[in-house]
Amino acid sequence: MTAATGMPLVAAAGPIGGLSYNTLVVLAGVATVGFAAGVAGTLALLRRRPLVGDAAAHATLLGVGAAFLLTGRRDLPTLLAGALVAAVAALVVLVFLRRIVRTRDDAATAIVIGVSFGAGLALLAGITARGLPGGAGLEQFLLGHTAALTAQDALLLAAASCATVTLVAVAFKELVLVAFDAPFAAAIGRPVGLIDTALVALVAVMVVVGLPAAGAVLVTALVVIPPVAARQWTTRAGRMLLLAGLFGLAAAVAGVLASTLRPGLATGPLVVLAAAAICFVSFAVAPERGWIWRRSRLRGGEASP
Amino acid sequence: MLRAGRLARAVRAVALVVPAGCRDPGAGGPAPGDGRPRVVATTTMVADLVRQVGGERIVVECLMPPGIDPHSYKATPRDADRLLRADLVVASGLHLEGRLTGLLERLADRVPFLAVADRLPAERLLEADGGLPDPHVWFDAALWSEAAAPVAAALADIDPEAAAAYRTAAEAYAARLRELDATLRQRIASIPAERRVLVTAHDAFRYFGRAYGIEVVGVQGTNTTSEAGLGDINRLVELVVSRKIPAVFVETSVADRNVQALVEGAAARGHRLGLGGRLYSDSLGGPGSNGESLAQALETNAAGIVNALAPEPEAASP
Repeated sequence: MTAATGMPLVAAAGPIGGLSYNTLVVLAGVATVGFAAGVAGTLALLRRRPLVGDAAAHATLLGVGAAFLLTGRRDLPTLLAGALVAAVAALVVLVFLRRIVRTRDDAATAIVIGVSFGAGLALLAGITARGLPGGAGLEQFLLGHTAALTAQDALLLAAASCATVTLVAVAFKELVLVAFDAPFAAAIGRPVGLIDTALVALVAVMVVVGLPAAGAVLVTALVVIPPVAARQWTTRAGRMLLLAGLFGLAAAVAGVLASTLRPGLATGPLVVLAAAAICFVSFAVAPERGWIWRRSRLRGGEASP
Repeated sequence: MLRAGRLARAVRAVALVVPAGCRDPGAGGPAPGDGRPRVVATTTMVADLVRQVGGERIVVECLMPPGIDPHSYKATPRDADRLLRADLVVASGLHLEGRLTGLLERLADRVPFLAVADRLPAERLLEADGGLPDPHVWFDAALWSEAAAPVAAALADIDPEAAAAYRTAAEAYAARLRELDATLRQRIASIPAERRVLVTAHDAFRYFGRAYGIEVVGVQGTNTTSEAGLGDINRLVELVVSRKIPAVFVETSVADRNVQALVEGAAARGHRLGLGGRLYSDSLGGPGSNGESLAQALETNAAGIVNALAPEPEAASP
């Protein structure tokens, strides 16, 4: 039985800690994505461009559809490569609108999101309606297919996530400097344009990698929510990066485990809900910035003479 | 919604052009004028039924091409036109043609209309998820055989001279279906009882399961667009492993990623899960396929199921 071909990479693994094979695979993939998305998202938030990820995410559907049409293949690496190209293209258009046409930042983002998402939906609908063999399932990238990750998929996601985190760790100083104060970084001779591009590229990669885990609509939440939650607890960039990563990881683990409790619970949305719960708790109880803290300090201020 | 609005306008426009007088029996507008009654059927299954009963005496047109999902089929303005010019419109009914329901209801006032599943004995219908009757009645050959007589009656209404011929043909076809019903039950019974489980991506086989004694489990339930959760995957892996089910079945219209995850999950527990052949579900095959008629499609399905589930799993891998 063990000699059968096409076995998964961890064929020998029995249930660990009472968790099934599928649960472990999904946990491994989604937890690493959650961590890396939190880290990359923190840089985007510090750079005051949290919606860069959203623009990239909405363009990915177009890339997925185009990759399928051009190659006729539907394995995850091919489709994600297409998604990455589309995400980067969307960001280039975004920069073009902002710098050359001089559109307002939020308007440019809205244009890129609307047009690329509309085009993506139209392309996928066209593929489905024509009944191309294997076309079914592409629309799963809209909502994600977290629960159906295979060991190979999870490995791909984990590898890309680790690469992202490593890059952030290596270029930590430069990235944070540009994210906080680009003019100053330029003044002291840092290649701001290059670092800025790297920063945006990291977010694009994480959005694409998060695509199978949460889908094009929800993946932005993984990039935006954990950093916002982390911001409540600390003002130091290094701690914020780490904390956002940990929040993303915790949300992924909580969401995945929650979805195993009973049938009929979609995994991706639960991960996002878990992230939102962490964020709301942070809003409420974080020291200094939290709602409860500020209220109690306000009262204390009134009482003192 | 937009589409429905456009359709409604198209229907109204056509209704204005075609005066009520033209709707006399037999005068079906500018039909390909060999005088034979033109019957428009919505799905491939219904078209097959009408052909079996009407034979060469009528011309049968099928609205939906083979391989199309009737649940999501939207009519074009041309379809509305075809329906209005028919001498008889035969639909499957029970909301199978979800997006045509409104059009068909309006049509019923202007054109002779029959929804075959509505004529089946209500106590033999199954309930789908929402409490509505499950429309996939053609998978039970004996139940479907009861739809032949209403079709013969509807044909007799528009072509009274051949009424007897229609009745005879309907009886003969019903007898064939009952015979097929017995054969199918025998075939499925040859699968060891424990492994008599049909795991499919979409929940269309409940009548088949009830009629032929095979448990039916859908990966995603009836809704093909919702995401399966880990709980669903784990539950199915458990089922497949604990009952040593050798194969699950794929449909082209539904994503196979979930099935891939099932195969891996089972493999991790030392159970080799294969893929069964493709089953005909909500549409028959095209001309020249092994599922051109309903009887063929049912036989092909049964053969595929027996093939995948019947052999001992040990014997399958040397």
